[in-house]
Amino acid sequence: MASEDYEFTMLFQDFYPSLCRFLECLLGGRAPLAQDLAQESFLQLHRTAWGTLPPGEARFWLYRVARNMAINEFRKSSTRYRLFDRVVEAMRPVARNPEQEYETRERKELVLEMLQTLPEDQRAALLLREQEQLSYREIGQVLNISESKVKVDIFRARAALRERWSKRVKIAGASVS
Amino acid sequence: MSCRFTEKISSLIDGELSPVEAREVEGHLLGCAQCAEARADFLSLRSQIISFEATQPGAVENRALAKILSKGERKKAQEKFAFGWRWNLGAGALALASLAIIFLMIALNPSPKEPEQVAVNNVVAPTPSPSPTVEPSKSETPPQQPVAPKRRPAPVREPKPGEQFAVVPETVRPADAQTMTALHFEKAETLLRAFRNVRLDEPGAADEVSYERKRAKQMIYQNMILRREADAAGDVQIASLLESLEPILLDIANLPDQPDDDSVRVIRERVERKNIVALLQVNSTALARALD
Repeated sequence: MASEDYEFTMLFQDFYPSLCRFLECLLGGRAPLAQDLAQESFLQLHRTAWGTLPPGEARFWLYRVARNMAINEFRKSSTRYRLFDRVVEAMRPVARNPEQEYETRERKELVLEMLQTLPEDQRAALLLREQEQLSYREIGQVLNISESKVKVDIFRARAALRERWSKRVKIAGASVS
Repeated sequence: MSCRFTEKISSLIDGELSPVEAREVEGHLLGCAQCAEARADFLSLRSQIISFEATQPGAVENRALAKILSKGERKKAQEKFAFGWRWNLGAGALALASLAIIFLMIALNPSPKEPEQVAVNNVVAPTPSPSPTVEPSKSETPPQQPVAPKRRPAPVREPKPGEQFAVVPETVRPADAQTMTALHFEKAETLLRAFRNVRLDEPGAADEVSYERKRAKQMIYQNMILRREADAAGDVQIASLLESLEPILLDIANLPDQPDDDSVRVIRERVERKNIVALLQVNSTALARALD
């Protein structure tokens, strides 16, 4: 039992930050909610599936469960969380280098804004591909879809983002001139 | 986006095409500006998403989870302590045994001090010996060939006329070296992605592996040259990335014709552990941007 807890702790240390990042992008930047869901996913893993999964499967299981939880959150009324997130954001400590912090935040918001324009399944597939470096087969396992659908979803997501990006650049160019 | 190849570009940058398809699309890219632009845009989007800085997760607030994790931490600490204790005991015993052996040797076979000192001096000097003309050998024993250090400093070339007055910082690397490195990173990234997606249980897997193996062989030499250049230019980040890439390329190049699951898995795990694909992606984009 003790060694199982030890292995579980190792898994947590390896994947907790990346699971938080995945959820944060999926949920449009709601970091506190992302962390709650990531912790809940690990707890569910420990309670229900730990020790029964084949080696190497725990990671996919975690992403699958975390994503399902995120979808449930989309369905719920999320006013409470939005309010909470704003409070947390307002309470954040002041950055050491405000200029740099401003740039980072700008870029972060832009990425989130662009990602939010995608349908959820395309967004999840693209994030698993780009941030988590999963193959199409592994993404199919996590999202419970075929490899060919993963391929199409990722391509559509990229094509849509590319189009929006170029429109944005054109608008920015027009406003400058 | 009307070219029929555009969808395949997306799979190409993910390393999800078969070697035959990959070659076909790469060939097409040389002549289709539309697809080349799509590829550059997709890669740029990728770097935007990869470089997304998530909020740093705070302490675990979920009590049940925190309890489980603290048990794991305790176990980890216990193991560390037990290991340290065992190691200390072992080391102590070894030190005692060594002392006893030295004592016995001295007692049984006392030898003159001078030759011993010479031997010690020769062993201790790890740096390459200076040229023989500097100091004629005083001792009678010939100077031992020192062990070559693993990484030799790059040779310093003679400055061209007028170059010594240039106010260029030493760390700046020439643009062609950067271009070569960016291209090399891009190739390596595609290779590693494709290698990761090879499935040995499928027909044609051996052909795919032999294709990746061939590509790895072609890249090793280039990798070594670029690493030396980066070293010489003092670009630590690029040099260390190339250094991490080298053993992986060697491992892939040295795979047998019919590799077993284990040997492929070991390489894949190493790639994952070092997170090398993402690093290659980030660095190749950064270099390409710097050159724009």
